[in-house]
Amino acid sequence: MERLAKEAIERGLALGATYVDARVERIASETLVVRNERLSEASSREEFGLAVRALVDGAFGFAAAPLARGDASTARALAERAVALGRKLAPARTSKVELSPEPPAVGEFKTPFAIDPFALRDAEKLGPLRAAVAALGGRSEVSIREATFGARSRISWFASSEGAAFHQELLRTGAGIAATATASGEVVTRSWPASLGGDYQPGGFERVAEFELLAHAPRVRDEAIELCSAPTCEPGRHDLVLASNLLMLVIHESVGHATELDRALGCETDLAGHSFATPDRRGTLLFGSPWVELVADSTAVGGLDTRGIDDEGVRSQRWPLIHAGRLVDFQSSREWASALGASSSRGNARAQSWYHPPIVRITNVCLEPGSWDLEALVADTGDGILCDGVKMWSIDEQRRNFQFTAELGVEIRGGKRGRLVRAPTFTGDTLEFWRSCDAVCGPLHFRWWGITNCGKGNPMQEAEMSHGAAPARFRRVRFLAG
Amino acid sequence: MPLFSRDESFALARELVAKSPAAETEVTVESTVDRFVRYAGVGPTQSADRERVDVAIRVRVEKNGGVGEARAEAATLERSALERTLGHALELAEAAVAPLQLIPLGGPVEVEESCAAPASLAHPFEAKADAVARALARSREAGFAPAGLFETWSATRALVNSRGREVFGANSRASFSIVASGPTSSGFADTIDADVANLDVAGAIERALEDAARSRDPSPIEPGEYEVVLGPHAASALLLFLAYEGLSARALEERTSFLAGRVGEPLAADAFDLVDDARHPKNPGWLFDGEGTARERRILFERGRALGVVSDRAHAHLTDGRSTGHALPQPSNSGPLPQNLVVGAGVSSLEELIARVERGLFITQLHYVNSIEPRELVLTGVIRHGAWRIEQGRLAAPVSGLRFTDSLVRVLKDLRGVGSELVRCGALFDGEVATPALHLGSLRFTSSTRGA
Repeated sequence: MERLAKEAIERGLALGATYVDARVERIASETLVVRNERLSEASSREEFGLAVRALVDGAFGFAAAPLARGDASTARALAERAVALGRKLAPARTSKVELSPEPPAVGEFKTPFAIDPFALRDAEKLGPLRAAVAALGGRSEVSIREATFGARSRISWFASSEGAAFHQELLRTGAGIAATATASGEVVTRSWPASLGGDYQPGGFERVAEFELLAHAPRVRDEAIELCSAPTCEPGRHDLVLASNLLMLVIHESVGHATELDRALGCETDLAGHSFATPDRRGTLLFGSPWVELVADSTAVGGLDTRGIDDEGVRSQRWPLIHAGRLVDFQSSREWASALGASSSRGNARAQSWYHPPIVRITNVCLEPGSWDLEALVADTGDGILCDGVKMWSIDEQRRNFQFTAELGVEIRGGKRGRLVRAPTFTGDTLEFWRSCDAVCGPLHFRWWGITNCGKGNPMQEAEMSHGAAPARFRRVRFLAG
Repeated sequence: MPLFSRDESFALARELVAKSPAAETEVTVESTVDRFVRYAGVGPTQSADRERVDVAIRVRVEKNGGVGEARAEAATLERSALERTLGHALELAEAAVAPLQLIPLGGPVEVEESCAAPASLAHPFEAKADAVARALARSREAGFAPAGLFETWSATRALVNSRGREVFGANSRASFSIVASGPTSSGFADTIDADVANLDVAGAIERALEDAARSRDPSPIEPGEYEVVLGPHAASALLLFLAYEGLSARALEERTSFLAGRVGEPLAADAFDLVDDARHPKNPGWLFDGEGTARERRILFERGRALGVVSDRAHAHLTDGRSTGHALPQPSNSGPLPQNLVVGAGVSSLEELIARVERGLFITQLHYVNSIEPRELVLTGVIRHGAWRIEQGRLAAPVSGLRFTDSLVRVLKDLRGVGSELVRCGALFDGEVATPALHLGSLRFTSSTRGA
């Protein structure tokens, strides 16, 4: 594989490119969904392709195609097309693309795992799903009982004209359950351990057992039914305790996307928008309260975007985005780091697959844990609402005004948990929200949550990453009427 | 790799069907050529000259009185990988065996062959670069920063199954888009067509620049309930949720749809007509679905009355025993989906719709719309790329960002007018709708977005 990548690089250089990189990728994925008693989806996918990127006359060209083993002619042809494309587009550039200097990455990285999900018999993977779906049953109000399993393996060989040669094997596995109840004129879905298909973690099938799907199924079912007749939230301002399985998405939308450097520099405007966190505000913008430490980390144990290098050969790293409440850094690629005048890239250039050019993507971002115990935090809150699970999210093009709806709310009255609240919806401004954070729970409550379908780019491509958090409290957050 | 021809596609699909020992087998072969240039103020920022082939094998195996069904896909031309894919489909199907009755795969069917536009397939990068250069130059002259995409995409698709069904078609899509941004405002325009020759790139550039110029220095506005005229892009962002959340036979059967218990009722105002029509020139698509069934023109709303849903073979019992041809590739955990929605055009121009509003808002685009509740279709999202007060039937001062939260079912009941010009447009998530501008009696805005 490395030879095919090098074949493309040599051809690109011979045609006048000043920089060439090539990625050979073999990607495998599998999805199993048991819906009520039926295996409603049993699908697998395998891809094998080559991407070649060439910098010519200050413009990038990119070409990609499926590959057969040893297919050197395709490798050379793609290099020729990438060079030709860069050359055609260069006259339309107002400034030449410069790449931040980086040492060539040589080596390999493999996600640690115990049980290869692709080597396991399908019947063994289905067992826990079928058992969990059965445990979601027993109540007529529940019309949809669902258990999902998914795994993805991405094996890549990256090489560049600067001497990079890196082999990477990434693996993630996940699962989840959900019950949808229809009662009292309401349709309510409750899920575990996370919404929208479950949670995904780096590693193999051993991760599925950690979710304890069977043990949580009866609670998930009963909460879905109870929520159908639960009151909606009293509109107005309430103190909010956010469970980490929802806080992680708040981090993703309001911090992760806001600190992508291409977006901050106006180059994502045509699809998902811009960012209020512009480079001129680095070091001065008061993003959050002093308790807010938000760290980007593509080396984190437990992150879906934990790997050796990004898709342009920059080594993984850990760095603060928000330190002591202030904006201090961004997520970047070599091109955008150079545009900003930074000495090096943060290593966030990633592509969905061989078919996609790398763009700046969110890596693993976490809210550093504080020291609170969750029950002590609830007791200290007095009156408020605890929100758990993602039901809905939306954020404006500047990443300022957001609105989230939780799957489940719990009233906090007199420092104690009270009745359930259906679909609490809170809205706010990113800066006001993070500045109102006055308590973060401790390391015992901290957990990474995987996101497998983050969309960005135009044409859109998906990326995976994790966000880590412990429950945290935000003061006087505005809730809408249900 | 050029696009697979009809013969090449059928040859590969037939070969795999013949190799399969399963009781029933269906093979889909799709080849795609995609060429795009994305740009911003610095010129082209991302571009690709790329192609792919996707082979999907669906099998059904029978064992111990039960049946199992699965799908395996390969995006590779390696023969060994395709054989491995067939093997994996069989293994998955074995694991899926359950005492179920499955409707047999469909037999031979006549489906008209669609064609890709030759100009879209042949469209050169030089022409894309010229359009980008024009967008940059005009934006620079007007004092705005541009960003957008020029893409041409072409594909062929063949489906062959072991019951003798063989269908083939081709498709293409060309699009140019531009966002023109200034310090306090922005404007958006796009042009989409199957044939790149029909794109109006220069017109799109000028429309975006004009909206950016006239939405400069917007004033804040209090949240509340406003009478609104939605431009086609704003309308499409809402209407796509009819497809995502409720126009599927499965959602109706599971009672998660807003149509549950309401089919036949007047759910929208008389002015609202909606069809799904893959042959409509304003929103054309594949003429067969994920099971090879011909896509039917399906009337979903007529004079505001909800007439029904779209179906696949598994849910045909909900549509007079006949699939309407809206299946996704099977087996799938998602139900059938309308993918070529067309709103019935009215007779009023956009200016005439605006002229009927005493006090209200004109909104060009709604961004990041998402669904809070499926039965009443409660949605939320924010306005962007230009919004103005309407005062005494005329566009007045531009306004700054607002977030709406409202029930689509509620607002369609108070649809007061439909524009005459159908525009094909999409939103942040998948899908496109051909829709004119819509005049709504009210839309509830629940918060205002704040400047940084």
